Amino acid sequence: MTQQPVVSVHDVTKIYGKAGEKQYQALKGVTFDVQPGEFVGIMGASGSGKTTLLNILSTLDRPTAGSVAINGKDVTGLKGNQLSDFRAQQVGFIFQDFNLLENLTARENIALPKALQNVSHKQQQAAVDKIATTLGIEGVLDHYPTELSGGQKQRVAAARALVQQPAILFGDEPTGALDSQSARELLNTMKHLNEQEHVSILLVTHDPFSASYAQRILFIKDGQIGQELVHGDKTQEQFYQEILSTLGTFQQ
Amino acid sequence: MLRKLALGGIKSRFRDYAVLFSGLVIASAVFYMFMALATNKDFLNQNSSVGMTSFIFGLGEVLLVIITTVYIVYANSFLMSMRQRDYAMFMMLGAKSRKIAQLIFIETVTVGILAAAVGVVVGVGLTGLVGQLLMAQLHAPATHFAALWLPALLATFAFFVLMFVVAAFVNAHNLLKTPVLALLHAAQTPNRLQLKPLRLTVQAILALVLLGIGYWAMQQLGTLQIAGLALALVTIVLGSYFLFNSLLVWLIGLLKKNQRFAAKNLRTFTLSQLSFRIRDYTKILAVVSILFALALGAITTGMGFERDIPTLASMQNTYDVVTVDATASTQAEAKKLTGVTSQTAYHLKADQKHVYFDAAELAKNPLLLVTTYRLGGVTPTKVTAQNFAKAADMAPQQLTQFLTKADFGKNVTVASAAQFAALGGKTHVATTYQVSDFRANYDVIEKLANTTAKQNGFKSADEAGQKFAYYSLINGIFSGMAFMGFFLGIAFLAMLASTLMFKILSGANYDQGRYLMLQKIGVRPQLLRRSIRQEIGALFFFPGLLGVVHVLFGLQLFKGLIQQPYHNLYIPFGIFIVLYGLYYLITVWLYERIVVKKDIATD
Ligand SMILES: Nc1ncnc2c1ncn2[C@@H]1O[C@H](COP(=O)(O)OP(=O)(O)OP(=O)(O)O)[C@@H](O)[C@H]1O
Ligand SMILES: [Mg+2]
Repeated sequence: MTQQPVVSVHDVTKIYGKAGEKQYQALKGVTFDVQPGEFVGIMGASGSGKTTLLNILSTLDRPTAGSVAINGKDVTGLKGNQLSDFRAQQVGFIFQDFNLLENLTARENIALPKALQNVSHKQQQAAVDKIATTLGIEGVLDHYPTELSGGQKQRVAAARALVQQPAILFGDEPTGALDSQSARELLNTMKHLNEQEHVSILLVTHDPFSASYAQRILFIKDGQIGQELVHGDKTQEQFYQEILSTLGTFQQ
Repeated sequence: MLRKLALGGIKSRFRDYAVLFSGLVIASAVFYMFMALATNKDFLNQNSSVGMTSFIFGLGEVLLVIITTVYIVYANSFLMSMRQRDYAMFMMLGAKSRKIAQLIFIETVTVGILAAAVGVVVGVGLTGLVGQLLMAQLHAPATHFAALWLPALLATFAFFVLMFVVAAFVNAHNLLKTPVLALLHAAQTPNRLQLKPLRLTVQAILALVLLGIGYWAMQQLGTLQIAGLALALVTIVLGSYFLFNSLLVWLIGLLKKNQRFAAKNLRTFTLSQLSFRIRDYTKILAVVSILFALALGAITTGMGFERDIPTLASMQNTYDVVTVDATASTQAEAKKLTGVTSQTAYHLKADQKHVYFDAAELAKNPLLLVTTYRLGGVTPTKVTAQNFAKAADMAPQQLTQFLTKADFGKNVTVASAAQFAALGGKTHVATTYQVSDFRANYDVIEKLANTTAKQNGFKSADEAGQKFAYYSLINGIFSGMAFMGFFLGIAFLAMLASTLMFKILSGANYDQGRYLMLQKIGVRPQLLRRSIRQEIGALFFFPGLLGVVHVLFGLQLFKGLIQQPYHNLYIPFGIFIVLYGLYYLITVWLYERIVVKKDIATD
């Protein structure tokens, strides 16, 4: 495949703290690509730099050095409205703690990115209904977030991230706050999106089960990519076992 | 241990407490300012010409108590919203209910007492400052006015402590009755907009009827007396509340239903922001509309009284000051007059029985004498040789200012130019001055009037028939009322500002997360700012509008007291709207600074 990668990260470093103050290097030269339609997992111990990396990829934070290109466009230099529009149109983001607006109904939450583009009301609703059906939340669209279960909230958040048909969907431990049943449902949904709708997904997690849904897993340790696992033709069960044993050796 | 926990809570959310505390301090300071006038009976009796003053202050007292109560209840629910998660946490960790209740009690009462104490000190300072400024500006003697007034101090303190003790009980009670889970999630519970058309319609009709009764009562004050004031008070407060409750809910519902409108940009979000906390808003908006009306009404009335002083003085005498045989130093002093619109010299001669004007001079510059009396200002009669006798008959006092004491009592008349030239004796020169703004020249006129009177043998400017004497007499009566108007206007304005500021900033914490979230999903910062401007704009606009209507009807109260209560309304309204507008801009700016990050990627 010589297609243009959807995410291209080159030698990214991140140093927290200003010069002269106490500094901490969270990323020490990370390089990798994600191809269109790929489902990539990122694993690592707590504090290894996963959230830092994801925030930089999704333009919520800037790298200290290095380049990040999404769909071929360098995003590290974006500013102002360009930056906002890029966030709105190119990336979908599912946060660990849902981040729904609790004063809007599920339907209004999902429609928000469309409304920002001044799409007509009819088209907005059509887009919402379509994605809600895909994610299985069509029955709860008129509920407020407080009237939803954790799993439903996370799927609403996913719907909002996807309604714009972004180039890539980022998830920072989206299953972290869910029970195993809801987590499994969300992961199946993501897998479905990936396989049927060809959505590229980058999923940060430290749960081996969640990771076993990915086609490829990058292990990150102390701000560097240390190892890579490929799903290949293995069954999910086999892949899961492989992740477990890799984690065992990798953590030491 | 408990005390440590309670005070620790205050430390951990400093900004919120700062907002809460400064709001309460302003509330108690304003309460004190009002009470410093209202409880000072000597001051009221000395400074007002109207028997109704104490009624009006009584009405004000009741209104202020209502407003302050809403404010305190609101501040208190803010305090609770800050603390309920902590309390819920303590409960989950196994703290006993009794202990928690004690904790809440200590915290609430401490906040109340501190705010009242600081507020009273600030109030004394503000009362002194505003009082001094106004007295100097208005040349108001404001006798018996005291910045440090013990009854007001006690009343303010007692009211606040009482309110907070009650609030503490209510808080403790509520908290212990609410399930722990609800406490933990209280801030996120949305208020589903109740769109019950029947209820809305009933409320809207009720609101209009109540307001109608209130406005009517103010107009019929002459017959209804105190009952009318009480009626107006109750109906207008309730009417405002119902109007906002029905109107705003209806309006937001309507806009949200219009999907073509709502589906654009952040409109759904802005409307939801408004409807999310609609119950809080309606109470606050009703209060703001009444504060707006009080502040604007007080300032308008103050201006009305202030404007009446020169108007009434001009009804007695056209000339602002007249010098007779001015010495060099008097002439030098007269040069200091500013905005002189006319200056005319008349020559007079006297014999044993008569004082003569020169007919030729009068033909050129007729005397301007007030000969008719009518409400709302008069046009002086132009007096020449033809109509002199009649005018002199009707306005003998106004001629005195042209004379020296030696000629006082002689028959004032006119001689033809030839006769005048032939007359022997000393020629006196009387110079009349008219200025555009009497008040601005107050000190110079006072000096001119007094030295002229003394120089020509009169005991006082009053005896010499100078306008200054009337002016200071009328000023003595009316400036007290103007003083009260401005003083209360400023106090209510402060309270209005603090109420809105408090309402808006107290929500900033919850909103911060929402706006950050919106920025993360790619909402342009300028769109967020627009949403903020619209949301806050609605909060300013609607109560402002209703406030203006309240004032327009409320000025009926002063029909008998002020010459033309509705005259030149654009001046006070204009000043007030500019202030209100500035205040809006400051609030928006502060709010944006808190909730909109310039660039979330940079930190
Ligand atoms: N704003 C910051 N300022 C300074 N240091 C930071 C900041 N954010 C993160 N760090 C540090 O950078 C390192 C990586 O943090 P990061 O949040 O990326 O970890 P993570 O892999 O997401 O961990 P977890 O699995 O616990 O979420 C940590 O050591 C953390 O202390
Ligand atoms: Mg993390």
